[in-house]
Amino acid sequence: MIQTVKKQYEDNYDGTKKFSNLYKVTYENGEVLYVFHSEENRHYQEILEWVAEGNTITDNGGGE
Amino acid sequence: MALSTIPFSGLGADASNQGVNFRNLLINGDMSIAQRATSVSSITSGGYKTLDRFNIDINSAGTWTMSQSTTVPSGQGFATSLKMDCTTADASLSASDYLIVRTLLEGQNLQQLKFGTSSAESLTLSFWVRSNKTGTYAVWFYADVGNKSFSKTYTIDSADTWEKKTITINGDTASSFSNNNSIGLRINWYLAAGTTYTSGTLPTDWQTDSNGDRAVGQVNLADSTSNEWYITGVQLEVGTSASDFEFIPHDVQLQRCYRYYEKIGTNGEVYKPIGVGVKVNTDHTYTNIFFRTIKRTNNPTFSFSNLVSTDRQSTDADCTDIDAAYTDSHGVHVRFSHSAYGAARDAALITGDPSTTPSYFIADAEL
Repeated sequence: MIQTVKKQYEDNYDGTKKFSNLYKVTYENGEVLYVFHSEENRHYQEILEWVAEGNTITDNGGGE
Repeated sequence: MALSTIPFSGLGADASNQGVNFRNLLINGDMSIAQRATSVSSITSGGYKTLDRFNIDINSAGTWTMSQSTTVPSGQGFATSLKMDCTTADASLSASDYLIVRTLLEGQNLQQLKFGTSSAESLTLSFWVRSNKTGTYAVWFYADVGNKSFSKTYTIDSADTWEKKTITINGDTASSFSNNNSIGLRINWYLAAGTTYTSGTLPTDWQTDSNGDRAVGQVNLADSTSNEWYITGVQLEVGTSASDFEFIPHDVQLQRCYRYYEKIGTNGEVYKPIGVGVKVNTDHTYTNIFFRTIKRTNNPTFSFSNLVSTDRQSTDADCTDIDAAYTDSHGVHVRFSHSAYGAARDAALITGDPSTTPSYFIADAEL
């Protein structure tokens, strides 16, 4: 079962942040997966189902 | 007589079965590859647990241990099997409860079946199975395109005895498989099923999937913690008869599994090489990781355990996160976060942690 989903950010050359098209998914058993924003990825489908259940993806804009 | 003039029939039936021609459409049917783990306990949710290419789907049907077992049918050449062991029973299934062991096939690997044409080929599934619980078990074939399915049953006749089962189904002349890397066919071995899946009638041909027709007559393997179920020698082939199991070399089997899941690194190796990189600042290292086999998709899921960014001079900085990854089916350019050391633009290696195991990097492109 998914516990949290967080958007991952990386630095641009100018120091600004951009979404890296990657989600950090933490499961209740402690497992951590890095999942691409892609319809054909089965873990991304899990994220979509998790969101459909009323959960929210954490987006801190690249801040800690 | 020159070798080239010996008729193939003269080699005998056994000899004709020794060549590897990939007639088995399934991968890891001898249950020899288990990259994730050899045993996982307390299973109450679905997913890939142990053996490559075989996963579980479960809905409130007890608690299970799934393992790669060395209990095998005698004299058949198998060294391993898949074992499901019930550790918490559910003797009274609700209507929607079920437990399935299944494997998934890519549509592009099924085109030779000519489904969706008048020449659609029959399929034969064969496997060795063993359980303490005798009775009727269902195998549900599901094709994603067209939402089509076909179910058949087999019977475990004798408790705790290996039995070879063969199931033949005719081809579907109405619906084809997509010619791509997505799911074409799902083969599902039911181990438990509530009335939602048993209340109908077993189909006699491919049909629009109907819940009640999937597992008619299925016993409840979840009804006792004494219950266990083994399977090995799983083969799916074109035609109406089952040939001997097609053994392929271990390295070939492993390469085929890598297409779907690749675990780079092993337990206990000091500075297991993962990638050569460069630090973009003091606490981030970019590295390239090349896959040993081209992956099924361009966007695998990644995970890692106990990796370090190291200069091999003074510092092994634990990797704590992946911020970004640029990937295709051949490899990935990945950015690891770690504690600060050294300076930007320094060379760095990503390796296994020399003091903590297990250390690995995983690329998962399973169906």
